[in-house]
Amino acid sequence: MTMTDSATATGTLPSDPESLVSPTSAASAASAPSVSFESPVASEVGGVFDALTTTDHKRIGRLWLRSSLLMLLAVAVVGVLLRIEDINSSPDDIFAGTNNYFQFFGLYRLGMVLLVVLPLFVGLATVVVPMQVGATNIAFPRAAHGAAWLFMIGAGITVVAVLAGGGWGALDGVSPSEADAIALTLVGTALLIGAIVVASVCVATTVVSLRTPGMNLLRVPLFAWSMLVAAAVWLLTLPLALGNLVLIYFDLRGGPGEFGNIEGSDAVFAQLGWLIEQPQIYALAIPVLGVFGQVAAVVAKRRHAQHAAAMALIGFFGLLSVGGWSQPWFQGDSHDEQFVFVVFGLSVALPVLGSVAAVAATFARPGADAAAALEPSLASLERTKKLNLAGLLSVHGLAAFAAVLVLLAATVAGLVRVVQPWDLGGRTTVTAVMNLVWFAALLAGIAGIWFWAPKIAGVLLPGGLGRSAIFNIALGAVLLGGADFVSGFFGAGALAYQYSAASVSLVSVPSNENLVEVMNACAAVGALLIVLGVLAVVAAWLKPQGNTETLSDNPFGGLTLEWATPSPPPLGNFLDAPARVVSEVPLLDSVNDTEEDS
Amino acid sequence: MITTTRFLPAQIYRPRSLLVGTVFGCAAAFMFFLSVVAVYVRERARARHEAMEWFAEGTVELGPSGFVFWTLVLSVFTVQWAVQAINAEDRVNAYVALALTTLFGVAIFNQLWFIINDTGFALAASNAEFLFFVINGTFIVFLIAAVLFITFTFVRALAGQFGPKRAEAVSAAALFWHTVVLMWAVVYFLVYINK
Repeated sequence: MTMTDSATATGTLPSDPESLVSPTSAASAASAPSVSFESPVASEVGGVFDALTTTDHKRIGRLWLRSSLLMLLAVAVVGVLLRIEDINSSPDDIFAGTNNYFQFFGLYRLGMVLLVVLPLFVGLATVVVPMQVGATNIAFPRAAHGAAWLFMIGAGITVVAVLAGGGWGALDGVSPSEADAIALTLVGTALLIGAIVVASVCVATTVVSLRTPGMNLLRVPLFAWSMLVAAAVWLLTLPLALGNLVLIYFDLRGGPGEFGNIEGSDAVFAQLGWLIEQPQIYALAIPVLGVFGQVAAVVAKRRHAQHAAAMALIGFFGLLSVGGWSQPWFQGDSHDEQFVFVVFGLSVALPVLGSVAAVAATFARPGADAAAALEPSLASLERTKKLNLAGLLSVHGLAAFAAVLVLLAATVAGLVRVVQPWDLGGRTTVTAVMNLVWFAALLAGIAGIWFWAPKIAGVLLPGGLGRSAIFNIALGAVLLGGADFVSGFFGAGALAYQYSAASVSLVSVPSNENLVEVMNACAAVGALLIVLGVLAVVAAWLKPQGNTETLSDNPFGGLTLEWATPSPPPLGNFLDAPARVVSEVPLLDSVNDTEEDS
Repeated sequence: MITTTRFLPAQIYRPRSLLVGTVFGCAAAFMFFLSVVAVYVRERARARHEAMEWFAEGTVELGPSGFVFWTLVLSVFTVQWAVQAINAEDRVNAYVALALTTLFGVAIFNQLWFIINDTGFALAASNAEFLFFVINGTFIVFLIAAVLFITFTFVRALAGQFGPKRAEAVSAAALFWHTVVLMWAVVYFLVYINK
């Protein structure tokens, strides 16, 4: 029996994990593999054929990520145009008519959820979660692959249908062809939701049933756990939106006209509006807490001080984000006054604050069990308890902290929004919450992409572009969210509510019109900054730094199982079966155990 | 110095993933169905509140829907019989049970077709009739999916698959079947009994 066999049998990893997992180590190179793997780099050569036939979760995840980044770019540009249009309160300057404005308005809002944020996290999870739980692939890889293509087809149909005059209703009446385009938009939206539901089943099943031996649920990494919670919430709520769409579609195609009324009405969009409002909007941000907890612990070079508590907080946050019950067909316009709605709104900041406190405890923790074993140079760092500034200033560190701060701002804005005496329900305060949540999720997605880039694509992404993206998106989110929040207090109506009351006028007259116009200008600047940030992300994705030859398997000192795979990971992910997991940081504890044994 | 001397793929480890995935899928399917039923209940409550007639007298009969319900109850036993038989390596009983369940599914489809035709409803006539069509239509879609799942499992069983420690697919098909039965229990109570 080799020493590796022995280590695996006793549930430990060798003291130098690079020697075990690095495909470039001399020892590894000397021993020719008895089972040949498809080279990860060579496998890219397949191109379109591979994209159509692959069952490798990393390639499937990349399909999701590329699609969502492409959609992000398009949706962000639409967002800028809408914000510029808002400055002078007229829908006719850029979009040439109320209907056009409304179509793109719907595309931006529902697109940020269904075309950008959800697929971004689904893609990240599809790549990372199987490796984190020690699995060789995602559960139901063919279904996961089908879901990715269903998403792309749905996205294409939705965008084309909107450009053809569709959308989610029409304020100025519709022609027969526009009615068909609206029906097509509904089909596209249903496909998007269906794809995300199927992918969620794959991710959740991976976490529940494909964990490596020894990894009980309490030992699951925080990101994988957050994706399990998120997938569960999405599976319980997104089908409700699918039910809405089925009723609307069949009503539109020959029903009594009660549910799918599109003529001169925003009823269809308003019905789906619960997807982008409190409390459901927070369901997008569940993985933010997972990314934050995991990245922060790696940045701190310490074991997460409150892993179990962080898991509980993520679960609590997920519980508070279940919002299908608040849809207009069930609640009318009265959900603002409901006890549950107010309690959810007041409580949702608590798990975010708790997650921040748990990470603060991690940074304050003495380094007795920290990652010094992995990197001897860190031993002195642990003794002096200094902050790991390099880690904090890394792209993933900055993005994770920015994401959680923006999410905290969103929950505080949401808290203010449910306070009844202020009556902010129909104001732009609602828009502020949704914008802040979207961009918190986007920042967390960026943190995840930069952090796991060695595992996603076998590269390191450039730090300069990453920091530029974070700066622009975080500042843009604050400007957008802050401007809408302030405008809401001065009576500016959230557009979605305004034209349902009077379709002639798109914007209400606020009590302080000049201030609101200044705020709208700030929001337009914010939207522009976000586009610049997105361009930086796309540029970094297209031109990564470094090459596969010299890339370390664990460049950031991660302690979870995905860092025991080569960069990029081969088919099957692990060169050898992962050792039996004994804690939530398998690399660290395995190393320590081995040293104790020796 | 510890070195790696073997390159082997990680162990393929799939403990009951099909069953777990089916649980998640069933939860999503049931929520989808409930969302449509919830709209039905809300619309009916609104009609009652406004003292409007919901279904015209004599249009929605309890008898045929009761046949559907009791046939489905019977199929719950046959599908569990299949699971038990596969676990006991009793293939003949498993084949009979799966065939009976498939047959019950087809019979229920036939009964539902009769019910829908018997009402004489039109899609655009009223909210009540529209929702009746959508709920029953949605149920039929899930029923067809369940029958296909059972049939596929049956064919695989005929091909020699499954056994005492490999009955996961049969259990998963049974779970989906039970979910569909539960859907009809909800419809039967809310639409047919409590008109």
